[in-house]
Amino acid sequence: MAKISVYRFLSAGCNGCDVEILECLVPRYKLADLGIEVVERPEEANVLILTGGVNVKGKEELLKTYETINPPKIVIAVGNCALTKEIFDKGYPMVGPPDQIIPVNYYVPGCPPRPQAIVKAVADILGVKIEEKEDYWLAPEGFRGKHEFDREKCMGCGTCAQVCTADAIDVIDGPDKRIVRVNYGHCSFCAVCQDECPTQAIRLTREYHLVTNNRQTTMVSNEVDLLSCSVCGGTFIPEKQIDWALKRITTEKVPAYSEFSNEILSAMKICMVCRRSIKNIREAKRLLTRLSEKVRGF
Amino acid sequence: MPETVYIGPYRPQLVEPERFELLVEGNIIIDARLELGYMHRGIEKLFTTRTYAQNIALAERICGICSGIHTLCYAQTVERLMGIDVPERAKYLRCIYMELERLHSHYLWFGILAHSLHEHEAFLKIMGERERVQDLLEYLTGNRMNYLINTIGGVRRDITPEKAEKIRRTLKELKPLSDYIMSLLDDNGAFTKKTKGVGVLPRERALDVGAVGPTLRGSGIASDIRKEDPYAAYDKLDFQVIVERDGDVRAKALVRARETYESMKIIEQALDNLPPGDIVAKPGEPKVGEEVGRTEAPRGELVYYIRSNGTNIPERVKVRTPSYANNFAILEMLKGERLENARAVIESIDPCFACTDRVTIVDAKTGRRRIIALR
Repeated sequence: MAKISVYRFLSAGCNGCDVEILECLVPRYKLADLGIEVVERPEEANVLILTGGVNVKGKEELLKTYETINPPKIVIAVGNCALTKEIFDKGYPMVGPPDQIIPVNYYVPGCPPRPQAIVKAVADILGVKIEEKEDYWLAPEGFRGKHEFDREKCMGCGTCAQVCTADAIDVIDGPDKRIVRVNYGHCSFCAVCQDECPTQAIRLTREYHLVTNNRQTTMVSNEVDLLSCSVCGGTFIPEKQIDWALKRITTEKVPAYSEFSNEILSAMKICMVCRRSIKNIREAKRLLTRLSEKVRGF
Repeated sequence: MPETVYIGPYRPQLVEPERFELLVEGNIIIDARLELGYMHRGIEKLFTTRTYAQNIALAERICGICSGIHTLCYAQTVERLMGIDVPERAKYLRCIYMELERLHSHYLWFGILAHSLHEHEAFLKIMGERERVQDLLEYLTGNRMNYLINTIGGVRRDITPEKAEKIRRTLKELKPLSDYIMSLLDDNGAFTKKTKGVGVLPRERALDVGAVGPTLRGSGIASDIRKEDPYAAYDKLDFQVIVERDGDVRAKALVRARETYESMKIIEQALDNLPPGDIVAKPGEPKVGEEVGRTEAPRGELVYYIRSNGTNIPERVKVRTPSYANNFAILEMLKGERLENARAVIESIDPCFACTDRVTIVDAKTGRRRIIALR
């Protein structure tokens, strides 16, 4: 490809990505070595870098800008707002994400992506290799990058989905499996899921080079088996979650209950609907009476 | 005959898109108007659809540059609503993180100022050196921007002795950058020639239009929320409120340049006196009622108002950002200014939106448009 001239367009983001793109111009990131220049008029550009989720006022301007830039009109969406509108997803003035308005060729997830990620993404798109000798190409310890599940530890409880600040985590129940799915293209990389996970199963790794040409692929997921109700046979809760809860009750919270483990387990294996049938209520009451007798000593 | 000049909204050269409508006679701006909304995301409505804990990430994304101070102001307001006492150590840590943010924000502003004054070499040097703060923040918090370090009840990550050592080292490396910026602003400096006497905002007018932060302090008024209404540990730390009297773009630049030294002083003191203990307190339940909190963002006074109905979702959150207050100061400063200086004037308040180097002039009589380059 001939010379690369980049024009930046921002509508309805937090401008963090825009500052990071500006930061890419710093000599240490060697963007200039790749033969790239940032231009200030769309008519001089042949590459458009988008940030932000596009609101009502920005839509017309985006269409106009896209018309103006020169072929081959490569469009790169930088930052999660430009992928999925991220945290502003449900905002009333938002009409994006941009790929609903104009064709987008590449996506760079991140909130905001590190300048290193943007430079690497551009190099990948151009098919050039950049040397990464310096320390700063490696993300530091404790960096909040792409997610990773510990498949042994994850029990599928869905706490992460509840605390998620950007609605990036979905819990999808199938006939006998539950899928916990993180869309890191929708994620704000706040790492609250990592802090709140009861089994430390979800972790944000130091991986930050996430460029893709299909934003449906920005997913990390884990599958867990669901347990069938011992009365009606329908699935309702992950097996591992029951084990975890039982262990917590009988060993951590009230060790005195440990001799009733089997009874407690069989009570827990009844689904929400069946628990309310008369027969099961009676049985549950009987169990509760025995448990309280054990603890109170009468 | 007066002409109307439009700056923006798109052709964003720097940060965000916004539109200015300038009425020009000859080369002199006689009136200015501002059209907002290109960045509108409906955040205040979104606040009322999420829990208090989730909202902190939303508050952070109001602005990507001063993101930390938004979370602090929000967290402090919620803490008052919930009756939480923040541990002493967390208060000092908050000061450290927020002053690091002030450093990177002020350096970014100087980078952008250099860019709009066409000082390319200075731009690259300032932005390059600024990476040191960004690397440090990434090392301390896990992200370069939107680092979500404050949480309701304290902070999320502690500063260990090794980390403190790294901060001290970085501050030492940053002093030459501040010295370099001061040299650009001294009597013969490159910035001085282009900014002295430009965009003057007199003391009285600054008060009338309700300017805040460095814009107000550049006009000779010593107003700083860190001193007037101390939050976190600022009442126990010794620092000066920087004031300059000239009211022009250079005065605002000098305020920021000298403030970087004060920020370094604050961080060093806080590191020296860091008390032991927890870094986060247990969260409480929001009481029915309303609270107002304010903090000193890099750009000026930031105000949060939160009304609670006792549930885990706020009923109303109102945010008054410093750029909003300073927008009216831009309009004031633009009047009577030469057209070629418009960009430096607009940049001088450190607005959270970009201007452009290109404007469209509409002839008021014929409606004919012509495009000129704004230098």
